Formats: sequence, structure tokens, C-alpha cells
Amino acid sequence: MQTRPVIFLATLAAAAISFTANVGRAGDCSTGDCQGSVSVLDGGTVTTGSTIADPLTEGSVGSGDHYVGDLPATAVYGQRRGFGQPDLFYNYYTQGNANAANAQMYLSPVPVPPNVGHTFYTYQPFYPHHMLYAHQDRYHNYYDGGRGLNRTKATYYYPPVKTAVQNLYWNVLRIPR
Amino acid sequence: MRNFLLGVATLCALAIGVVSTVDAGDPYAAVQLWQYNAQMNRPWHGGYYAQQYGQPTALVVPPTAAMRQTLSWGVSQNLMYPIPHQFGRSANFPGAAAPGQFRPTPVWPSHTDQFGYYYVRGPWR
Repeated sequence: MQTRPVIFLATLAAAAISFTANVGRAGDCSTGDCQGSVSVLDGGTVTTGSTIADPLTEGSVGSGDHYVGDLPATAVYGQRRGFGQPDLFYNYYTQGNANAANAQMYLSPVPVPPNVGHTFYTYQPFYPHHMLYAHQDRYHNYYDGGRGLNRTKATYYYPPVKTAVQNLYWNVLRIPR
Repeated sequence: MRNFLLGVATLCALAIGVVSTVDAGDPYAAVQLWQYNAQMNRPWHGGYYAQQYGQPTALVVPPTAAMRQTLSWGVSQNLMYPIPHQFGRSANFPGAAAPGQFRPTPVWPSHTDQFGYYYVRGPWR
């Protein structure tokens, strides 16, 4: 099964995406990072977090197939983010060892109070930060217990006609004032 | 006429098919390494908090962005700096800072860094 969303980058929208990161406690559900406390319905049984066993990669624990930043697989709270087994939603954080405060990228601009509730982005190709520049990406996701693999190729590009018209206007037709 | 239409259709197809590839122009990853080291050793924020949020606030810019411009009083202080920091997957400690760690924007700001908004490049994936 292959889906192919084609995503337009509205020139102005891309420039206007200023979803500022918010600063919050990492791992706190109230600040948008609910990993470990999200219930996922998996084949009739409710499992917690993204600890659904990946039958294709689970056998090779410790063989170095981790993403950078993964917790050790032996830890109780360890999350597997292997190929084809992405997180339902995972936030992005500022990096480095010299920060007095760290920012998370979603939600924007600051976390909402916990009693309000908030939105998850669960479909990776539609993450807003992909709309910032033109590129192509492929996303893989196992389903049906590893018996099927969903491949999604996403192309992010500036709409050519609109871009040409805008260029014509801004660079040729517009009176400079 | 038919050929003309065909040509237009071909051109349109080509225009749609051509996607500008992201080329960092960094074949030996020297800039990437420099950015990584810089990001490990210095904070993504300055010493000021954004007035609306009480914390320094990250402004997400495309990962292809390289430089930022600062404006200040005095022509010689309009400087360009690289943006080494990029959002990544691992959550870091600490989260929000305790109150009082950052300074407010001065009543008469004299530098763009004093507003508490700092650029951080978005992730590649």
C-alpha cells in the first residue's frame, strides 16, 4: 500500500509558520509530551505507549539499530523507535549541555493548561515543520503485526504557477515604493 | 495548436516534477560538525525572556537557515551570527527555568536579542 501526499508549500504560509516552541518540563503530559501514558489500541488489547513489540526488529536488541537519542532497550521505560515503528507522537527539543532552559517544539507557542487538553500530530507527513522547506521524505509504518508495510512518499514543494506569478508581481510589476 | 498544447502540458509536468533538492553544500559535514559542537557548548537562548511567556522562546526557522541578523544601536553592532542550534529528538534536562533566571526586556531595548526570541532550526526529519 502506497500513498503519496503532495504538499504545497504556500510561500507566505511557510514564512508565517512561526510556531514558536514552548518551554516546559520534558516528559510532562501537560506540556505535550505524553509518551508513556498514551493508550494505543492494538489488535483488541490496550497497550501503553509505544512499547508494542516490533516482531521484525525486537530480536536484535542491542545490535545498534537504535536511533540516536534512544534510551537503552533494557530500560523499563525504553522506547523503540526502529524502522517502520515510529512514535505516535514525539516532540522535538533543543539540544546541548549549556542551556538554562530547554524548549520543546510543539505545541505552539506555549503549553496549554492540562485541563484544556491539546492536539497531537499523529501523521508524520503533515508535521508543520516539514512545510518550512522544499524536500522529499519517505515514511514507513508496519501494520497488521508486521505483515504489512505502509510506505508514504511525501513531496514538499513550492507551487510553481503561484510562485511564478508572485515572482512576476514582486520582481517586475510592483512599483518599488 | 495541438503541438503547442502538448508543449505547455510537458512544461507543466516538468515544472511539477522538478523539486528543488536540499543541498547543504557540505560534502564532508564540516559545517554540521561545527554546528553540533557549537550547539553542545553554548545555549540556544540569550539572557532574556520573552515578555509574553516568561521564558526565552524559540522561533522555529527552516533547517536550511544558516545565519541570523541582529540589530542594535550603532551601525557597527548590526551583526550576523550563525544559527547552530537545531531541534532534536531527545528530551533534555532542564525544562523550563525557575523564575528569576532570565532578565526582562529593558524598558528601552537596545538590541534584538533582548526581546527573548531566539532562532532554533527545525529538525530535518
